[in-house]
Amino acid sequence: MTLDGIAVPETETPAGRCEYCDRPFPTAERLTLHKGLEHADELDASEQEAFEAARAEEETQLRDFRLNAIGAIIVLYFGLLFLYAIVT
Amino acid sequence: MPSSPESEDAATGGEKESEEFSIRPAALRTSSLNFPRSLLVHLLMLAGMLFLFAGLGAASNGMTLSKQPRDPMSIPRWLYLATGAGVIGASALLASVVTDREYIHGVHTWSGPELSVDLWWRPLVWLGRGVGVIALALAVYLGFTGPQLPTASFTILVTFVVVRAGLPMVTYLGGNLWPTLNPWRTLLMWLPTGFIEYPRRFHRWPAVGGLLLLVWIEVILPVSAVPRVLASMIVIYTVLTLAGGMLFGPEAWFKNADPLAVLFDFFGSIAPVQRRTDGLTITLPGSIPPDRDVFTNTSDVAFVVFLIWELTYSGFITTETGAGTIEALVGMTDVGVLGLQARAIVVYTGLLIAGFAVFFGAYWSASLLSRRYTGTYVTARQIAFRFAGPLLAIAAGYHLAHYVELVVSLSPALLMVASAPLSPPANPLTLAPPGWFDGLNIAFVLVGHVVGIWAAHATAFEVFASRLVAIRSQYPFIAVMIGYTVLSLWILSLPGATPPFLL
Repeated sequence: MTLDGIAVPETETPAGRCEYCDRPFPTAERLTLHKGLEHADELDASEQEAFEAARAEEETQLRDFRLNAIGAIIVLYFGLLFLYAIVT
Repeated sequence: MPSSPESEDAATGGEKESEEFSIRPAALRTSSLNFPRSLLVHLLMLAGMLFLFAGLGAASNGMTLSKQPRDPMSIPRWLYLATGAGVIGASALLASVVTDREYIHGVHTWSGPELSVDLWWRPLVWLGRGVGVIALALAVYLGFTGPQLPTASFTILVTFVVVRAGLPMVTYLGGNLWPTLNPWRTLLMWLPTGFIEYPRRFHRWPAVGGLLLLVWIEVILPVSAVPRVLASMIVIYTVLTLAGGMLFGPEAWFKNADPLAVLFDFFGSIAPVQRRTDGLTITLPGSIPPDRDVFTNTSDVAFVVFLIWELTYSGFITTETGAGTIEALVGMTDVGVLGLQARAIVVYTGLLIAGFAVFFGAYWSASLLSRRYTGTYVTARQIAFRFAGPLLAIAAGYHLAHYVELVVSLSPALLMVASAPLSPPANPLTLAPPGWFDGLNIAFVLVGHVVGIWAAHATAFEVFASRLVAIRSQYPFIAVMIGYTVLSLWILSLPGATPPFLL
């Protein structure tokens, strides 16, 4: 994506800008992930390490999210099942 | 987690890699995938889920044509609607569990091998152009001279069964034939064109206005009942299109201002069969090829939202509740200034525009909310453009639900009339679709939304670097989609009626 669709709200200051494409990011973590995904070939060793750490952290959070999502699916499924059992 | 072995491998593989800090980011984007089998499993699961739900909510059908009272539902209406909302919510949750970037990107941008078309493309194109121009000429001529019975009129059958109903289906389920069939484009090849440059700042707004006008004409004027009226409209459309095409050049005109061409372009962008430079290729339905920038302006989003609203609207006014609402509104506006007919037109027009504003407002606020909720620096406008692609899948689902019965019931009449346009049958055959079409319509609406959910998920992963942000960015859109679904499932469950006060 180009910088066309990017704007920093007036009340905020970005946590950092990408050195490669100048795109601003609200958190350092998102900047690290962006660099690892969009500029994978240009990273130096320390950036590479930071990206892998951010990715591992993201993966942990995703695991928690996934558990919640599966829980929600189960609640939804059985909720509807019981509704049908009660109503009809 | 979907139970396909491949996707689990992919997901756990990704986790292991990141745990061991051995991930190769460069490989993330370039590796090729062997996904179709696992995808098939996903699709089968979703289909099974949909038909289960569709079977449970055995409501009834039909929008435009059917006016018979229907069977009462076997479950309370609120439960049927809650189930529909549940299907969309569950699919969104299910999609959000799939977080493997490589897998999502691979599925969303998958395309088959290119098939060369050099040998037979040109003759076929000329055949299509010929068919288009001949059909236009016959439609105008027979509209004025042919039988004035709708089901025996070449004009009405070609306009509504083919251009309004059948061709869009061919487009989003197959590929876009309109650039070839479009008779006005063919005619413009022999006319002098391109006197003025198309004003860029108009973007696609003329097409949005044009589509609004076409729908308005369809509702207000008896174009689907009196061939002569329809033929006059086709003549006006022809004059306007040829004038616009000559003035601004066919490319600019059909890309920005002609509502039919834009409609087919948009539906064509999600079509499974795509034309590439070297030939034809297959993509998955609902995924826009990555090299195509379809949505670049607010007018593009407005056009797609109007497609969804227009089908909801014409469904609504042909139900008892819709007719009752119109009657009540017309009664309320009786202030002694306008006659009954004029007030009815005002009410129909007002409802068309107000509803569109609500639908568009809902979508736009979803992008604003999505931005605020994720704290991203991607602008709300940009988010709105990127998430508009999934709306096309929803529009396609609505269109299919709305028009499949029309196509099935009138296709024998169309065949009879088209095979002998100059000596039309006195009493053309029409079919009555069986009862299970009701369930089919519900399934079409839901399938459109489920495809839309997946497309939105894939889009979010393309836009946002953080996968948690990508998931959270979809919440407002999922809420809007649930709203659209519940509304159209509600309309599908209402008994049919003839729109009041119209000719």
